[in-house]
This record gives sequence, C-alpha cells and structure tokens, in this order.
Amino acid sequence: MPELSHTLVTVALAAALMGTLAGVLGSFLVLRGQALLGDVISHAALPGVVLGFMVSGSRDFLSILLGALLAGGLAGLSVQWLRRGAGLKPDAALGVVLALFFAAGIVLYSQVQGRPGSAGLQVFLFGQAASVLRTDLMAMALVAALVLALVLALWKEFQFITFDAEAARAQGLPVSALETLLGVLVAVAIVLGLALAGVVLMVAMLIAPAVAARQWVDRLASMVLLAAGFGALAGVAGAVISAQAAGLATGPVMVLAASALVALSLLFAPGRGLLARLALRWRARRALHGRQVLAALHGLELDHANPDHRSEETMLDAYLGTRAAPQLERLAREGLIRRERHGPEGRIHWELTDAGRARLGAGAADSDRSGA
Amino acid sequence: MTALHEPHIACHIEDLTVSYHEQPVLWDIDLDIPPGVMAAVVGPNGAGKSTLIKAVLGLVRPVAGHVRIFGEPVARARRRVGYVPQRQSVDWDFPATALDVVLMGLYGRLGWFRRPGRTERARAMTALAEVGLEDYAARQISQLSGGQQQRVFIARALVQEADLYFLDEPMAGVDAVTEAAIVTLLRRQRDAGRTVVVVHHDLQTVARYFDWLVMLNKRIIAQGPVSEVYTAENLRAAYGGQLALINALDLAGGGEARPGA
Repeated sequence: MPELSHTLVTVALAAALMGTLAGVLGSFLVLRGQALLGDVISHAALPGVVLGFMVSGSRDFLSILLGALLAGGLAGLSVQWLRRGAGLKPDAALGVVLALFFAAGIVLYSQVQGRPGSAGLQVFLFGQAASVLRTDLMAMALVAALVLALVLALWKEFQFITFDAEAARAQGLPVSALETLLGVLVAVAIVLGLALAGVVLMVAMLIAPAVAARQWVDRLASMVLLAAGFGALAGVAGAVISAQAAGLATGPVMVLAASALVALSLLFAPGRGLLARLALRWRARRALHGRQVLAALHGLELDHANPDHRSEETMLDAYLGTRAAPQLERLAREGLIRRERHGPEGRIHWELTDAGRARLGAGAADSDRSGA
Repeated sequence: MTALHEPHIACHIEDLTVSYHEQPVLWDIDLDIPPGVMAAVVGPNGAGKSTLIKAVLGLVRPVAGHVRIFGEPVARARRRVGYVPQRQSVDWDFPATALDVVLMGLYGRLGWFRRPGRTERARAMTALAEVGLEDYAARQISQLSGGQQQRVFIARALVQEADLYFLDEPMAGVDAVTEAAIVTLLRRQRDAGRTVVVVHHDLQTVARYFDWLVMLNKRIIAQGPVSEVYTAENLRAAYGGQLALINALDLAGGGEARPGA
C-alpha cells in the first residue's frame, strides 16, 4: 500500500477534479451526439499549448492553458464555419479541422525542441501525473467550481436544448448562445484535464464515464452525477497507478480504467446490461410451459382448418416470444408432437400427434366447438 | 405602445419567402388563419409545410415577409403559441420520464434560475391527464409507443395553455385509436376557443377532422373553410399529377362522381 505522500494526494485531487468535470460535460456531449467535437477540441489544443509556451516562456502554465483554450475554441468555430459555410457533413468537417490543427501542433512542437524547458511540453501529448505539481490546485478547483456552478444554474436550459433544441428555440430560449456556452464549458473541462490525460486521449475521459453511467440510470441528473463519479474514479485510478511507475504516461492508464468501467457497465448494469438481458431471456424460456406450446400448435391447426398442419419452428419461437426448442424436444420425447423437415429449404416443422391432442384434452375440444 | 397589426387574426402572414441554397422553398405566402378554427395545412412532399410552421415560429429565417400572431410579432407573442414538432426530430433514448418532457413545456415561462416546483408538476400532470397518459408520468420515454410519444409531445404544448397551437404531422405513424384520441383532444381545444393549425398528411380525413384548410405547394394554392376549399380543382392545382385517386375522395361541390357510386 503506497504511502499517502503529499504529492500523491495532490495528484489524486487534481485527477478527481478533472475526472468530475469531464464526466459532467461529457454527459451532455454524448447525449447530443457530439463526442467527436470533444476529440477535435482536445487535439486542436496542441498548437495552442506550443504557442503559449513560445510566447510566454516555459514556466508559465497559465498562458499554456490559455493558448490551449483559444486554439480549442478556434477549432470549434472552424468546424461550425465549415459546416454552415461550406456545407461539409459533420464528420468531414470534424476530420478536417482535427487533422489540420493537430498537424500544425506537431510541426510547431518539433520546432521548439531544444529550447530550454521544451521537454516539459511532452506532458501534453499523453499526460503526466507529476505535471500536476506545477499547477495551482486551488486555481483549478476554483475554475472547476465555477463551471459546475454554471451547469447547475443553467441545468434546465442545458437539459432542454440537449433533448429538443427546436422546441426550446420555439419557446424563446437563446439556443445558439446556450450551445456556444456549453461548448466553452466543454473546452474548459478539456483544457483543465490536458496535463493529466494528454491531448490524444482526453476525449475518452469525456465519453467513457458518460456511456458507462447511462447504462445504470434513467434520469439526466442521475446520469450526470454518476458520470462525474466514474470520471473521478477513473481519473484517480489512472493518476495514482501511473505515478507508481516512472515514465508511465497517465492518459493511457486513465483511459484503461475508464474503459474498464464501460465494459463492466455494459455487462452488469440491471436492465440494459448484457447479463441482465440474457437472464431475462433465460427466465422467459424457463417460464414457457409445454401446455402453451401444445396450445399454440393446436391454435394454428384450427386457424388453417387443417388437422395435419405443420408449423415452422422459428415461427413458433416468434409467437411464443422465446426459443422453444428445449420444450419442443421434451414434448417430442413424450410423443406429444412430431418433428418433420418441410418446405423447399427443408426447415424444421412441428405438428401435434394424437397423443398431444389428447393431452390438450377437454380444453382442445372446447376450442373446437367455439371455433377459437 | 406600437399599434397591433391585424390583431383579430390568429396568424397573419404576408409575403413570406424562405430560400434554401438560393432555391425558394416557400414563396410569396399570404396566409390568414382566423381565431378559433381547427385548420389543416396540406400539400405534396416538399411543399414546404414544415418550413412554413418553422418560419412562423422563427426557427427558420425567411428572406422576405412578416408574421403577426394576434397582431404582435412572434417574439413578443411566444407565450400564446404552442408547438408540437415532428416526433422523429428527437432522440427518444434520452434519459427522461414522460413527466420530465411535459415539464420542459414550462421552461420558457419559468425564466432563468428558477426550478420547476410543485405548481409546475401539478400542471404537467393535468396536461398528461388531458392526453390520457397520467398513469405513464414516471415511464421512461424510450419505453413509450409511438402514439404515446406523440401524445407526450402534445401534452408538452398543452401545458403552456397557449391560444394558438402548431402541430407538425401529429398523426403520422400512429395507430387509429391514438389518431382518434388526438383529434378529440384537439377539437376540445378548438371548442374552448383556441386555434389549432395542423400539418396533416392524410387527405382522406381532412374533411372529417378539420373546419379550415390551407393548400400549399411552395405557394398558397387555396385557403378557407374546408367546405369551400376542398375541391377537385384545388387538389389538382396543389398535387399536380400526383393524385391518382382524386375521384375516390369525398369532395365538395364540383367533385366528380365516385367510381361505382
């Protein structure tokens, strides 16, 4: 168990802040289907980071973050211009801007290699837990608090424009301004997390906690809270684990942690999870009684007015709502139904035997009379 | 106070023109909808029906023309207008209950920084009851059928207690029972003195459901009481050669005899 050194606590706190913000803003991004925009803003931050370094000198973290924010914002606007002005489809506009800005960033980055302090820039590619020591945790907490306060204050507006922007506009809400504000908050969340997660993988911290949270809950407020928790958890896990091994980049470890949360959620969430759905199907199969199958076969005989009617197995599955094969095998073993291959493709069909009809008994006779 | 322009008309439109990529989608629209009617807007695909509603509400910017709602510009009359957009304009997998969605109808009225409280929830429940969904208030919207989703959208508009409602194809893709229910509740609104304007997709039912008709195909073909406007001549003008079975429709006055009638 590692000692709780001051460094580790600082790192964990910064990662928790960053993960919380990413989870909250990422929820809105994912629900709006704009996860890729987060990717563009993150990658586009690189040239801003390098320019901030070039302009201010290596020690000024704040101007580096400001450069990142401006570059990210410019990228976001460029995407809008390309879509509205040039009529590009969303994915093309996003791809063009991301590639352009990131390439520019890499070129600038290679240009400043060798300058004093430039080694510190590498942190921004994949993140480094130790970089947190250079940041002012208090300032970061303040900005994060401001962002969260804004989200809380404008909660219902953000909820409305995410669900139905047109109806919101029809009610007089300033939808464009709100969308721009949301974009700015997303950019701030990204920039605050860049030193820890890096430009390349930051987008995963926006998407994964939100996707994982969505599997568990059905209300927006719960989803955002849970995403904040997941984001903080993945952030802290990534930062603390990567701090143990020298030279291990933080971003990738955070993303692995976040992805593990997604995988667990997709598997184990009640209702939406894979296991829950399998259990439901298994229960439906078990609840299917032999009598229901016999009755279905008999009903089909009556509908077709043909006592020798054969029904295709997959059709029976569809009607009964579950795979009937286990029951059908059991009934066949008891001699109540008979299997045949029928039709041009030789598919499996089933028909009632006399014994099966007898088993249905008085009930079947009644349905005959009433013509059911 | 600026003078009201045509205050006795629920929706007054003049010279409205909307272009998309320099192509006119709506052109030279002069339209007056009197208060207290249940009006249908019909026309072939691409006629600009949805665009008309959106242009009236300010969701799409026209290149020409003006709109007045009870004499006021739309921006000032928003409280008096309710809007039910097309059902597929929204992702129904969004995490929200039916009640959540109906509450959103009150957000414009609540203003900044206020949260919906007990009064708002009560009004939302009343609106849900009006559309027959009070038992579904806590249901996830993804678990609602198409007809129920449509009714939730209508409840969201009804909760605003507006004087003029615009609905964009509310009966598209719903079952017959839901369609009848929607017509009944819209009629109730009309009978209470409100004005209802519906972009309607089904010519067969226009005369049965509505009392006012607007025929549109990029321009206004005809407008007025259904009994006067729903004629073979107007239908031909609006739909061109697209209507093979004009004869089969129950038309006013100059309609041809139905085959076999």
